[in-house]
Amino acid sequence: MDPLIFTAIPVGLVFGFALSRGRFCMNSAFRDIIVLKDYALLKAVGLAILVSMIGFAIMDRTGVISVSPVTFWWGANMLGGFIFGIGMVLAGGCASGITYRTGEGMVSAMVAVVGLTFFGLMTSTGVFSPFINYLRSATTITLADGANLTLANVFGIPYYILALAIAGVALILWAIFARRGEKESESVSLGEKIFRRGWGWTSTGIVIGLIGILAFYTSTLTGRSYPLAITGGYLSTAKTLIMGQNLMTWLPIMVMSTIVGAFLAAIISGEFKFRSPGPKTLIQCFFGGCLMGFGAVCSGGCNITHILSGVPQLALSSMLGGAFIILGCWATAWFMFLRPMRGL
Amino acid sequence: MSDEIKVDKTLDVRGEICPNPDVRTLTTLEKMEKGQVLEVLVDYPLSVERIPKNAENRKHKVLKVEKVDGPEHRILIEAKANK
Repeated sequence: MDPLIFTAIPVGLVFGFALSRGRFCMNSAFRDIIVLKDYALLKAVGLAILVSMIGFAIMDRTGVISVSPVTFWWGANMLGGFIFGIGMVLAGGCASGITYRTGEGMVSAMVAVVGLTFFGLMTSTGVFSPFINYLRSATTITLADGANLTLANVFGIPYYILALAIAGVALILWAIFARRGEKESESVSLGEKIFRRGWGWTSTGIVIGLIGILAFYTSTLTGRSYPLAITGGYLSTAKTLIMGQNLMTWLPIMVMSTIVGAFLAAIISGEFKFRSPGPKTLIQCFFGGCLMGFGAVCSGGCNITHILSGVPQLALSSMLGGAFIILGCWATAWFMFLRPMRGL
Repeated sequence: MSDEIKVDKTLDVRGEICPNPDVRTLTTLEKMEKGQVLEVLVDYPLSVERIPKNAENRKHKVLKVEKVDGPEHRILIEAKANK
């Protein structure tokens, strides 16, 4: 066993800690563009993507990592993304959301994780896999040399130049147009801010973006050339438990450590507690988790693989998959929340 | 819990999933009369942070946010106070 896989433990612990403190969930981030008109988490997601993009660009240029985008299977990227988006609204959390809330003691999230793992396995190796394989092979597009599509190689621009340009322009525009006025006026100690309180979107975005960079680096050391992901980690863990073969590589160890990190964060802040909604909502969460499991495997990634890790690599598959995750989320949120809330 | 604020209605959304605490608080406030007080019992951290912010944005007045136990909080909101 490669001892470097244990680099996944600190990465996962810090990731889980940051997810919990930052309440980092893309379901909330995207859904609340239309439902609550609350953009704090959306800004955290945007900032994390830009920070990771800069780090990936520098590491790719210096040869520390090499970008490895998910394959552009447009049919599978779109269908899987849309179904994943529906699932995360039903489950009340995206892949990272249900992971950190499992650590915080929320039974609804645990049930969603079980659903995600169950249907993820059925899709990757079980009854749905022939359909997925057909859909993928029928809609694959690569470059002539077989390389997976990115915004950079499609336009023939070196990745690091385009990534730095996009991140730079986006950050400058953001700084110019961002409205000032969100002030943290209370004077509390740094320790109190880090361990006891919820983080603001700026700290959350920067920390999660940096963890993405660290993840790409350490994961590459073990031969897995990809940054953060979630769903694959659950699938490998479940296979290890069910089939008895040891598949605990960097990713599953990272995901399990993420739960522990969120658990520790909740214990320290006094927010840990086992709590559950009624049976009807639990069934809804399980069903949502199942859709997420199918969607993530079909699309080639959950919201973390696509939006947090794939978009900074400028992968076309992840941009398309991510866009359809958002569309699925909006369509479902409109039915579930916006119609009943109309006139508010 | 002794406080002088009279509560007209209580909403218990403990254990609920995102974003039900937020949505149910806001829709309940909207149905209440101006000046009535809603008590929200909530244990989902993101909602504890966002309910006061979003209620204020919609012209309700947050009277009190009180930590009860662990993640559990009690939020008192006066409906439509600033309308």
